[in-house]
Amino acid sequence: DIHMQYERVGADVTMKCGSMDWDAAVTWTANGTDIDESHLNGSYLILKNVDLSQSGQYSCYEGSSWHLKYQTYLRVGTPPKEPVLMCRSNNYPKGFYCSWHLPTPTYIPNSFNISVIHGTKDMVCEKDAVPKNRCHIRYLQLFSTVKYKVTLTVTNALGKNFTTLTFDEFAIVKPDPPESVVAKPVPNNPRRLEVSWQNPSSWPDPESFPLKFFLRYRPLILDQWQHVELSDGTSHTITDAYAGKEYIIQVAAKDNDIGTWSDWSVAVHATPWTEEPKHLTTEAQITETTSASTSSFMAPPTTKICDKGAVVGSGAMAVCWTAGLVVAAYSVLFI
Amino acid sequence: GDSWGIFTFLCAALCNLPALPALNCSEELGAGQSIQQTYDLTRYLEHQLRTLAGTYLNYLGPPFNEPDFNPPRLARAERVPSATVDLDLWRGLTDNARLAANYRAYSRLLCYLRVLDGQVGTAELRHRLAHFCASLQGLVLSIGGVMSSLGYPLPAGPAGPPAPPGTPAAPNDFLKKMDDFWLLKELQTWLWRSAKDFNRLKKKVPPAVVTLRLEARGF
Repeated sequence: DIHMQYERVGADVTMKCGSMDWDAAVTWTANGTDIDESHLNGSYLILKNVDLSQSGQYSCYEGSSWHLKYQTYLRVGTPPKEPVLMCRSNNYPKGFYCSWHLPTPTYIPNSFNISVIHGTKDMVCEKDAVPKNRCHIRYLQLFSTVKYKVTLTVTNALGKNFTTLTFDEFAIVKPDPPESVVAKPVPNNPRRLEVSWQNPSSWPDPESFPLKFFLRYRPLILDQWQHVELSDGTSHTITDAYAGKEYIIQVAAKDNDIGTWSDWSVAVHATPWTEEPKHLTTEAQITETTSASTSSFMAPPTTKICDKGAVVGSGAMAVCWTAGLVVAAYSVLFI
Repeated sequence: GDSWGIFTFLCAALCNLPALPALNCSEELGAGQSIQQTYDLTRYLEHQLRTLAGTYLNYLGPPFNEPDFNPPRLARAERVPSATVDLDLWRGLTDNARLAANYRAYSRLLCYLRVLDGQVGTAELRHRLAHFCASLQGLVLSIGGVMSSLGYPLPAGPAGPPAPPGTPAAPNDFLKKMDDFWLLKELQTWLWRSAKDFNRLKKKVPPAVVTLRLEARGF
């Protein structure tokens, strides 16, 4: 007959050997290992100030016959702290979902119960199979004046706790980030990058509930972002990119009128179009190359200039940029 | 006592909007542009309302100005048509029905706000309310303009008694404040809804309507 008991971290635990008398001679084991007599008070096992490592199987055997008299499984844990609850509508106007977690583990099994009240009506939040700790609700009505009240209760063998969220339908609207962000150089335009993306697939009705977008971009070598807000369309051309520099670009989405901005999309990298190396030559070499083939050049001169003292730092970069500009200006003369 | 009668009279007097003048200007602009302007107006009003509501709720005092205040809706007859609607029903509204719902709602809301204006204590509030009412009147006219340019008849005016005569007036100060709280809530929700209504209308108004009018002007 196996028992299970849950005790709080730091508690003092007394285990009785079943129906044995206090003065009976017994031996206790923890996970098969004998426990020293100093922990015994008669036939009772005393564990003071238990910690997590003391979880396990405790067995009590009658002294002489080594008969198993009692067995229990001890699990040391904590009662739940106030859970963290978040509700969000990434599929407006279909509905919303709530997800939750405990700020610190309890080390013992917990059960969660979620209730959603809208005015006087109780609504059912259907639990998701994956991920766990998440449930979703469909809106029955749109444009409600009455708030939603979501209460999450966590219970385990050592206690319970709860948290409540109250919100308006509009306040929790937050789309998923835009998808399929693509950034491409524009041929013959050394300062342009063409960025395009798609509405997040979870947004069910972009026709009636259009999204607006926020684009941010910067060259990898700088820390400061540039921002553009776009009220419609799913593409944008950056026209002030630094020539030849690799850029990192991200896009975020928001319902046109309500709610908050999505998280940033996955970052994409792109470098604006640069000219073919054969144009970037000195005057002397030009007369040579008109007869020789261009494949004899192994690397464009700009790279050579930048390679000198090739420590990545603002000084070297300034040299690169200056060289880049000079070469770009020079090459324009030869087009 | 007789406060209900006074209330009805006030509303009837204040809500006697003049018949809409011949809207030649909006006909020239075309329905598409008017819809955009109406949309912009709702966004502007929504923004204005945030400040106004904050000030007014502070004037009402606690618990009305507490952010978590979430009272149950009392079983009093709703004075203003609610913005709340079943999703499929909302999607299926004809352009005419959609516009008419907005027109009726804001006409009534304007009416009640004007009554409020006459009652509030502080000069600052009176000033804000007056300014808001003026903008709200602009919205009602703008919606009316869109309806006219699309050839829809305007809904019957709000000049009549705003609620069934059987509705009792707020019997005490607290319930009166509660009524004001719900009025502001309903107004806020309508402005959120209108943004979506006009988004939908923007997509649905056929470009041909605008083109036709431009051609008529000899472009």
